[in-house]
Amino acid sequence: MKIVFALLIIVFLTFSGYHLTFRSFKLPLFAREFYLTGTEFLFLGLLLGAQFLNLLNTETLRGLEPIGALLLGWIGLLFGFQFEIAKLQRFPLDFFKAAILESLLTFVLVFFSVYYTLPLFFEIPEVKHIVLSLTLSAAAACTAQTGLALLAPDFIDQHRKTTGLLRYVSSIDGLSALLIFGMVFFFRKSSITGFSWVGDLALGTVFILIISAGLVFLYIVFMSSHRDESELALLVIAMAVLTSGVASILHFSPLVANFFVGFCLVNLCRQKERLFKILVGVEKPVYLLLLVFIGAYWKLDSMWLVVLAAAYCFCRFVGKFLGGVIVTRLSPEMNDYPPHLGFGLLDQGGLSLAILFDFQQGISCDVSTSVISLALLAIIYNEFLSPYLLVRLLKEDK
Amino acid sequence: MVDLYQRKRNVITYILTLLVVTLFALWLRHLDIESSWQKAGMINFSFGFVLLAAYMSAQILKIARLPLISGYIIVGIIVGPYVSGFLTDDMIASFGFINDVALSFIALTAGGALHLQSLKKRRKSIILNILFLTLVVFGFVFMFFVFMGSHFSFIRNLSSVQIMAFAVLVGVVAVARSPSSAIAIISESRASGPFTETVLGVTVAMDVLIIVLFTVALTVVRIILGGSGMLDTQVFMAVSIEMAVSFFLGALLGKGISFYIDRIRHDLPLFLLFLAFGVTKISMWSDNFMISYFDIHLHLEPLLICMSAGFVVQNFSKTGTYFMESLDRVSLPVYVLFFSLAGASLNFDALRLCWLLTLCLAVVRVTGIFCATWLAGTVAGDPPLHNRSAWMAYITQAGVAIGLAQVAEREFPEIGMYLTTVILALIFVNQVAGPVTFKAVLNFLGEAKIR
Repeated sequence: MKIVFALLIIVFLTFSGYHLTFRSFKLPLFAREFYLTGTEFLFLGLLLGAQFLNLLNTETLRGLEPIGALLLGWIGLLFGFQFEIAKLQRFPLDFFKAAILESLLTFVLVFFSVYYTLPLFFEIPEVKHIVLSLTLSAAAACTAQTGLALLAPDFIDQHRKTTGLLRYVSSIDGLSALLIFGMVFFFRKSSITGFSWVGDLALGTVFILIISAGLVFLYIVFMSSHRDESELALLVIAMAVLTSGVASILHFSPLVANFFVGFCLVNLCRQKERLFKILVGVEKPVYLLLLVFIGAYWKLDSMWLVVLAAAYCFCRFVGKFLGGVIVTRLSPEMNDYPPHLGFGLLDQGGLSLAILFDFQQGISCDVSTSVISLALLAIIYNEFLSPYLLVRLLKEDK
Repeated sequence: MVDLYQRKRNVITYILTLLVVTLFALWLRHLDIESSWQKAGMINFSFGFVLLAAYMSAQILKIARLPLISGYIIVGIIVGPYVSGFLTDDMIASFGFINDVALSFIALTAGGALHLQSLKKRRKSIILNILFLTLVVFGFVFMFFVFMGSHFSFIRNLSSVQIMAFAVLVGVVAVARSPSSAIAIISESRASGPFTETVLGVTVAMDVLIIVLFTVALTVVRIILGGSGMLDTQVFMAVSIEMAVSFFLGALLGKGISFYIDRIRHDLPLFLLFLAFGVTKISMWSDNFMISYFDIHLHLEPLLICMSAGFVVQNFSKTGTYFMESLDRVSLPVYVLFFSLAGASLNFDALRLCWLLTLCLAVVRVTGIFCATWLAGTVAGDPPLHNRSAWMAYITQAGVAIGLAQVAEREFPEIGMYLTTVILALIFVNQVAGPVTFKAVLNFLGEAKIR
């Protein structure tokens, strides 16, 4: 059976390679989205992982831990770079409120659904139970821009206002989810040392902020003299891995720590444009590698996962949909946007994957592989669902 | 004046930053590391720290006109398990796989740096250098041990037969060089010209030849130590097949890379990373697979595969320039990582144990290299200036030599410990001195574009 699956994946990946090579080959809409967003790399990870070829086995993944830390660091930095205050101020405050509200609503809805559903299917200790629910809801609250990126430019031009809002919301709505996810790591320490969680949270946050400030200072020192691109790339790689390492040693999330650093850099560093160019230059390879890495943890060992993933996907859909309806009634200006705004916020991209990967690296437990598999399936469902609903939303848009 | 001021300012900034980062690292090392998550964090932190420290130290040492890789190696030695212990043996072992992938990347570059046209032009010089370097260096080192070996306390316990076997093995390992160091220095100096082409051709070819020579040496030593009394032709057959299969796979891979560049082109560094990973992993896997299922020992050599792949892309497709540019864009992190880890693996304890013997051996080896290159250059009709200074380009030694020593240690445990210690100590000296002399000779002969 394993060999048959492996062969199927190889055929599928060969087809992917063929598609990459001969781009004129026309695919149906859902498949086009699937390929162009790189989701096939999840299958590459699955094929290379322990379930099939065993090339990316536990030992190898342990050997590649610095690469994993680099990927998390890179995505954290990139996400932090989205929050340049001067740029955010150019948009109405309602946009910001809409992004946060929509994401929080999805977060809360998914959190309670997962919290009450998971124990019915998995045996999980109480602390891990909260952690798993927080992780899944944080991953659900984030949105990617992949669907928008694939639309034809003239179609976007016709709906510039709505696509502008969608782009804004999807680029920053992971903020609240990411910050809440960061708190998950304090559970980790309290579960080990038995400290009060609130005490840990306050002290830990202050501590990590001080360390992040030190790391930002280091970046600024490095950026103070002129360097060529390869030197800059080396420094960013080294600093991202170093920051991830420091965060892990201090029981904190590498992703969130790098986000703090990225946020400070984009608002304080004069050379931020050059740094951003380096970060964004390999954004796609980083994303694809992340897909491969997380795909290696994917384990399809129960049909229940397929059903649970559909339920998880549905809860997320409801959250995004309700969020869209509510935020378009926030103020008279927001009334101009179509109420089904949530239809355009279904893509789940890099940040969701990074949250799942961070969780797998830092707080894995007996059921974490199943939970990750469930979330990955949901991401694939969303990839299929999203293009139709996005186009439908924009057609609704007057 | 402004430039000098700027340079001084930069150096002071690097020194201060290095100090701050080091203090921070020392503080982190004193924290209690309990969970596996924290341990993984410490590994990641150390990885980032080594990259930063190596980069900054290399920039500081640049003032003394030392090559960058010397800076990386020196930092590796300092943070490694034999000096400060910041990087433990376990940590270095856990970086092993990334290190192998980095080495495959460097091998791709080494293959890609070989131009068939230039090799043809320099054919005579390259062949003569290989021939004389092999014969003379081996001869000098062999004679040194046979006639002087018993005077050194470190190997005094060995019998005369064992010293003879020891001399054969050290002699062959002394012939090995380090293509990775050579390619790093050439790429740092942006060197080109007849001298550079000859050195590169000789270094890469000897990396292949050394495997054959070592197999011969193992057989000879087996005879000397009283094992099998005949040359085992099966062993030679197996080595030839391994090399042929590796070259063939490399050529196929090279064709695949040029097809990818032709048809897709985007994200080439990522594609090459996948390939380097794949080659390294599949080589390991095929070893076990062939033994488990067919009881055949077929060891694919990832270095040879990558070198021949790079060579095919460069010489049998139109995509060579783009391929090399892509590799060059990611070369800095690869070199910093590879050479700082190489530095960390250099065995300082071994040098402490047999420093006198090692120094004498290093001098004998260098003398052998000088005689060999002078002779080869003179016969080939190369410029006298090249002939007098070519020895400086062939001193570096690294991974291959360590690998050979480990194989020999497993094969002949009775002399293995002595052999590994002496070879590790010799590599220590050569890997510290070699890059400096190589960069100096490229500058001296005017083939380096960046000084």
